[in-house]
Amino acid sequence: MTADEIPSGLSQFEQRARAMLNDSAERLPGSVRSRLTQARYAALQGRAARQSHFMRRWVPAGALAAAALALLIVLVPGGRPTLENPITNSGLEDIELLTDSDAMPLTADQDMDYDFYEWAADEASGAAPSSVGT
Amino acid sequence: MAAFATLITQTADLIPSGKAHLRDTTQDGARALEAFLTGVERKAFRIAQIALRHEADALDVVQDAMLQLSSRYAQRPAEEWRPLFYRILENRIRDVQRRRSVRSRVMAFMPWRGEDEDDEIDPMAQAVDHSPAPPAQLESDEMMQALERALTALPNRQRQAFLLRNFEGLNVAETAAAMKCSEGSVKTHYFRAIQALRARLGEFQT
Repeated sequence: MTADEIPSGLSQFEQRARAMLNDSAERLPGSVRSRLTQARYAALQGRAARQSHFMRRWVPAGALAAAALALLIVLVPGGRPTLENPITNSGLEDIELLTDSDAMPLTADQDMDYDFYEWAADEASGAAPSSVGT
Repeated sequence: MAAFATLITQTADLIPSGKAHLRDTTQDGARALEAFLTGVERKAFRIAQIALRHEADALDVVQDAMLQLSSRYAQRPAEEWRPLFYRILENRIRDVQRRRSVRSRVMAFMPWRGEDEDDEIDPMAQAVDHSPAPPAQLESDEMMQALERALTALPNRQRQAFLLRNFEGLNVAETAAAMKCSEGSVKTHYFRAIQALRARLGEFQT
């Protein structure tokens, strides 16, 4: 709101006082006007200096922290959620082992070649094989 | 890694436009603040000068108010600056008045009077202006001095209400915000100020 919008309904006394005060403000000495200008520039420069100090100090730090965090999330495997859960999927692995025909036998009486093991034991003890070659 | 590369690319695309936007906003804000301070500085000085009756103190008070506004409240909406600025100004004026009051009380008990830098006489301010002033100007100056004396004689709150409403042109709500009081109090202070000034400056009305 400007000063000119105000005095609706002002009495003559108020209008005269206002005109005189405005006139005194317009006729300030040059030294005072110069000091006011200096004060204004000091206030504006102080604000600019504070802002640039803030930007210089916190923006690079924030950017660095964000980059480090992003790098951490992307590169560290433990940070990524895994789709395969070793506990919940262990039943499926067991079924695969049991049904795989090429895998090692898991029980003693399954597909054991007893003749072969008997012959191997005899060979190791140095005795002539009893059944082989007869 | 592909996701990280994408993230870096997107961030790099965003940073320049973000900075440019920030810079434009800052420059607009600085220009608006400068225009505001330019618009209020002379009246603010006169208000402080009438309250303190001391040019150097008035300049210091205005400078403090400008610094305070620009450092703490520049981010606030521009329409709030005027009442905020005058609230800061009135606080600073009151601080100076209190310091003076304390100092005068202390000095009254001292057997000597200390020489203060503020009390030094400024030869430039004391220099006599020999240029002839026109009669109308002399009459205006005398009336202005009478008005200043009458304003100085008012209680602080009445003087604040009168100067903020009549001289600076704040509305009742803005004046109340600047004076930290209700709008009803502003109206009361203003009315009493007018009555007191009229009683003191009867010839001023003609």
